[in-house]
Amino acid sequence: MKHLFAPAMAIARKDLYAEWKTKQTITTMLIFSGLVIVTFSFAFDPSNQAVSALVPGMIWVITIFSGILGLNRSFTQEKQNDHLHGLMVAPVDPSAIYLGKCLANLIFVLLVQIISVPLLFLLFDFQVISGVGLIYFVMIVFLGTFGFIAVGTLLAALATHSKSSEMLLPILLFPLVTPVVIAAVQATRIVLVDQEGVSAALSWMQLMAAYDVIFFVVGFLLFEHVLEV
Amino acid sequence: MTYLFAAYSIIWLFIAGYVWTIGKRQHDAMKELQFIREMKED
Amino acid sequence: MTNEQSELTGIVPSKLHKVLLAIAVPMTLVAMYLVFIWTPIERMMGPVQKIFYFHVASAWNAFFAFFIVFVFSLLYLFTKKRSYDLIAGVSGEIGVIFTAIVLTTGPIWARSAWNTWWTWEPRLTTTLILLFMYIAYIMIRNLDMEWQKRARLAAVFGIIGFANVPIVYMSIRWWESNLHPVVMSEGESAGGGLEPSMLFTLIFSVFTLMLIYFILLQKGLYVEKLKLQVKKMKAKEQEKMIS
Repeated sequence: MKHLFAPAMAIARKDLYAEWKTKQTITTMLIFSGLVIVTFSFAFDPSNQAVSALVPGMIWVITIFSGILGLNRSFTQEKQNDHLHGLMVAPVDPSAIYLGKCLANLIFVLLVQIISVPLLFLLFDFQVISGVGLIYFVMIVFLGTFGFIAVGTLLAALATHSKSSEMLLPILLFPLVTPVVIAAVQATRIVLVDQEGVSAALSWMQLMAAYDVIFFVVGFLLFEHVLEV
Repeated sequence: MTYLFAAYSIIWLFIAGYVWTIGKRQHDAMKELQFIREMKED
Repeated sequence: MTNEQSELTGIVPSKLHKVLLAIAVPMTLVAMYLVFIWTPIERMMGPVQKIFYFHVASAWNAFFAFFIVFVFSLLYLFTKKRSYDLIAGVSGEIGVIFTAIVLTTGPIWARSAWNTWWTWEPRLTTTLILLFMYIAYIMIRNLDMEWQKRARLAAVFGIIGFANVPIVYMSIRWWESNLHPVVMSEGESAGGGLEPSMLFTLIFSVFTLMLIYFILLQKGLYVEKLKLQVKKMKAKEQEKMIS
């Protein structure tokens, strides 16, 4: 187990450090989220109360689309400098690479969410719930994002082998990510807007947790096949 | 009902279309084979 | 294709294939007779309900095709045998065809029975996701790289794709039960079950399409092996010419 953890942290640290230097990807992701929010405010009247029903969906649209940007980058930059070969040749369990990449990607997307979600609430004059609801909300966001990143990291590595990887990744990703998106949007809606039927939100969260576990384990096991030359 | 006939026609069209696709692949492979035979004879 | 050419490549269609073809033709005709003439016309929906037989049969066989993709993807990852990869690939294509059939007959039926082109009904929506998933699978198989790597990538996707199907179905059903409490039935009689003649025709349709699946699989596999053999021969000839 230790053999997995240390290399994984090293890879995550490398990605985070590289990103910290240039801040290129995070900036792109943030600009993109801002664009989504602004476009939605033009399309729908933010002052209108009925529009608050859109906010849960918007949170996840932002997450998914900026997440795809981040996922793309996480492997394309490896391909550019031929780091891929270095990673494959290194005496490291491929699953450790999966762990490290997942962690880094997760942190990137969570960072973007921490900034864009409050911004979204602000611009749409959204009544933010407090207390237990907020805790549920944070848990839902984490569960959904984790599942998305777990599948996304595996598929990003798969798509890298293609010349048009940016086009291939969304095509591969969307069908697989459908359950977690449905669950996340529904759970968010219940917790933020409906505020009744918290038990229903719990069932959705259980579905997300199951999805997360299944696809994280599957990604962990299958990653070596995706990375090999 | 026309809907019924339309539906079943579409079903058979799809299957026939796929059979045609396979046939085309086979035909292309055969043409390649012919090309190789001609290369051999030279 | 002439016998001479087929012997040149060493790839010959098997006898079983001819037998299956011989069975398929009368079976299909019987199936059509059963659907159009033998089964009674349903009270509520009229003749259009008969789309149900091949619609559901296609859905079952699409699922079966994708199950085969799953199994042979696993087998390929364990054994690395090329024929397993080829079988998975052809099965995926046939699955997409059946899925397309489900997704076109579904709306036609919905339009005439409920006057709407699309319903976000769990089975239909799952089939739509299925279509995207296996089109993605076919796109992976068309990537330009050495076959071993490509086969491995396709196998990984074939495995996670299929594992995802029950989860997709469950989540859509939960989502749907919030929007439409009433679940739309498919051609079931007022009693809540299927009449025996309808059930028989349905099962017969499933097996007819399954036979067609196997015939298409055999033929597709045959052509893939043919293509490989021709490629090998071409490479040999080119080597001879260079040396």
